[in-house]
Amino acid sequence: MGLFDVFSIAGSGTNLNRVWLDCVSDNIANINTVRSTSESAFQARYVVAQSADGFAAGDPKGVNVTGIALGNAEGRVVYEPDNPLADTDGYVRRPDIDLGDQMTQLIQAQRGYQANLAVVERATQAYQTALQIGRNA
Amino acid sequence: MSITGIGVVPPVGPIGPAGAAGGITGASRVASPQGGGFATSLAGAVDNLSAVQAKADDLAVQAATGTLTNAHDYLIAASEASLTTQMTVAVRNKAIEAFNEIMRMPL
Repeated sequence: MGLFDVFSIAGSGTNLNRVWLDCVSDNIANINTVRSTSESAFQARYVVAQSADGFAAGDPKGVNVTGIALGNAEGRVVYEPDNPLADTDGYVRRPDIDLGDQMTQLIQAQRGYQANLAVVERATQAYQTALQIGRNA
Repeated sequence: MSITGIGVVPPVGPIGPAGAAGGITGASRVASPQGGGFATSLAGAVDNLSAVQAKADDLAVQAATGTLTNAHDYLIAASEASLTTQMTVAVRNKAIEAFNEIMRMPL
C-alpha cells in the first residue's frame, strides 16, 4: 500500500470510463451498419469491469477492464427490399442498438470520468493541506 | 560570631558510565536504529520521488510524440509527482529545522 494510492485507484476508474466512452462511441458510430442476413449483425460493445481485488485485505487497488462483451449477434431483421444487401425475401440485418440507451450510457460514462478526476483533484488538495501542518510554527 | 573551620572536601569519585543511571537505558535502546534511521528513510523517499518523476517524464515524452493512449494518465502522474516532490521537500525542511534547533542548543 503506497503513500498516494488514491492516484492509481482513481486513474484505473478514469481508464474504465474512457474505455466505456470508446465502446459507446463505437456503438453509436455503427448504429446504421447494415449487413446481409447471411452474416451476423454488428454487435454492441459492452465494457466488462471487475474490481482489482485486495480490498478485503485492506489494500484497495481500483478497477480493471477485463474485456469487451459483445451484444446480440442476431440484430434486428428489417424488411428493406431496396437495400443492395437485402436477401431474396428483401430482409437485411441491422444492429440491435438503441440510441436512447447509448446516450444514457454516454452520460454515465462522462460523469464517471469526471467523478474519478474530481477524486484526484480533491485528494491533491487534501494532501497539500496535510503538508501545510507546522508550516508557520 | 564564630566561624566554623572549613573541613576537607571529600574526593570526588570517578564518574561512572552513563548506562549506570537506570532511567537512561530505555532511551539508549530507542536511539539505536539499524543503519542510521532518518537518513535511510529520507533516501528512500528521494528514491521514490525520482521513480514517480521518471514515470511522469516518460508519459510526457509519450504525450509529445503522440503515443500516449490515456490523456488523464499523464496528468495524474504529473499531479502525483508534484505532490511527492512537495512532500519530500517538506520532510527535508523539517529535518533541517530540527538539526538547526539542535545546533542552536547552548552547551
